[in-house]
Amino acid sequence: MPPALDLLNLPDADVVVLAQQGRDTAFRELIRRYERPVFSLIYRMVRDRELAEDLAQDTFIKVLNHIDRYRPEFKLSSWLFKIANNVAIDHLRRRQLETVSIDGSPHAQTSDAIEATSFDVVGQQESALDELEARELGTAIERAISSLRPEYRSCIMLRHVEGRSYEEIAATLDLPLGTVKTYIHRARHELRRALEHVREGSE
Amino acid sequence: MNHRHLLPDEIDLLVDDEVGFGVTPLKAHIRDCAQCRAQVEDARLVVGALEQVPHFSPSHTFADRVMAQVPVFVPWHVTARDTVARWLPQSRSARLAVAALATSAASVLTVTILWIATQTDVLLLASSAAGDQIQNFVYNSGRDVLATVFGDQMFAIIQHTGTVGIAAALLGLAAATGASIAGLRALAGVSSRRRA
Repeated sequence: MPPALDLLNLPDADVVVLAQQGRDTAFRELIRRYERPVFSLIYRMVRDRELAEDLAQDTFIKVLNHIDRYRPEFKLSSWLFKIANNVAIDHLRRRQLETVSIDGSPHAQTSDAIEATSFDVVGQQESALDELEARELGTAIERAISSLRPEYRSCIMLRHVEGRSYEEIAATLDLPLGTVKTYIHRARHELRRALEHVREGSE
Repeated sequence: MNHRHLLPDEIDLLVDDEVGFGVTPLKAHIRDCAQCRAQVEDARLVVGALEQVPHFSPSHTFADRVMAQVPVFVPWHVTARDTVARWLPQSRSARLAVAALATSAASVLTVTILWIATQTDVLLLASSAAGDQIQNFVYNSGRDVLATVFGDQMFAIIQHTGTVGIAAALLGLAAATGASIAGLRALAGVSSRRRA
């Protein structure tokens, strides 16, 4: 039995090397690190929890089954986001699901399904009023994000939720840098317009 | 004060908190221009809201479901290394002792091999003796086979004719064996065709 490793403190590249050596715990550590960002990106693209889990699962299976092809000069997270974006966009193209509702998945048939697939956005503010405002803004921003074009959505999520640079987004999504800047600018503009009524209401 | 308002990409530069010489005049502009300042503040509010958007969690069985479809393959060199690591003692002093022992054994072995390699006479003597042994073994085996097949009297006659006689007898034996095999196969073929 190999000695126990402190995987939590290792950088991604080292964990990948251990996964390439067939360490089961290293595979699980990579999933633990990225399951939430990958799932969140896909969920905001397809707006269906069950479907998002399936697509996120496909993403991890694709990446982990080809972990031997990973090149350390690239970020593992960029590779994961690239695959995640591709599977989500492919799905949206197949379903022609361009815009979705914040109030539940378009595939939901029952009230339970609608509730299960609707966003539940909770802020970290302390007072009830703050929480109410944050919930309103959070819900509004989720609704606004879901109304963006899919390519704007993935760019804006990578930029502001995952904190990626323009260059990283361009490399991740295989888009020219200028296109990424344009998408993000347009997405911000559309979000600003979509959130105007919330800001006006709170003033 | 500049007389033109900021362009969209210039607003993005300020929202992204870019630094550099090009940003300084933009910052100076929004200090004086209320319209552009409001646009930048609006954009910053949106970005601030976006940055507080939370991550969602998949179900708690997510990792297990992924791992059920990811075959974990351990390369042979890792298996070998792990096996060695298992056999090695854990304590540092014991490892040093094992390393010293292994080094000593390897040194003795190397010196022995080198000494043998330098002893040309010994090597020649040993290889000559081995050659004689092999030659005797082959000769005796051949003689036993011929004596068994042809009988002792016939073998004595063949032996009397010398090497040519022995070679002719062996060739005859090989030809007879080949002919027998061919005949048996032909018979087996005929028999199977008749059954069919």
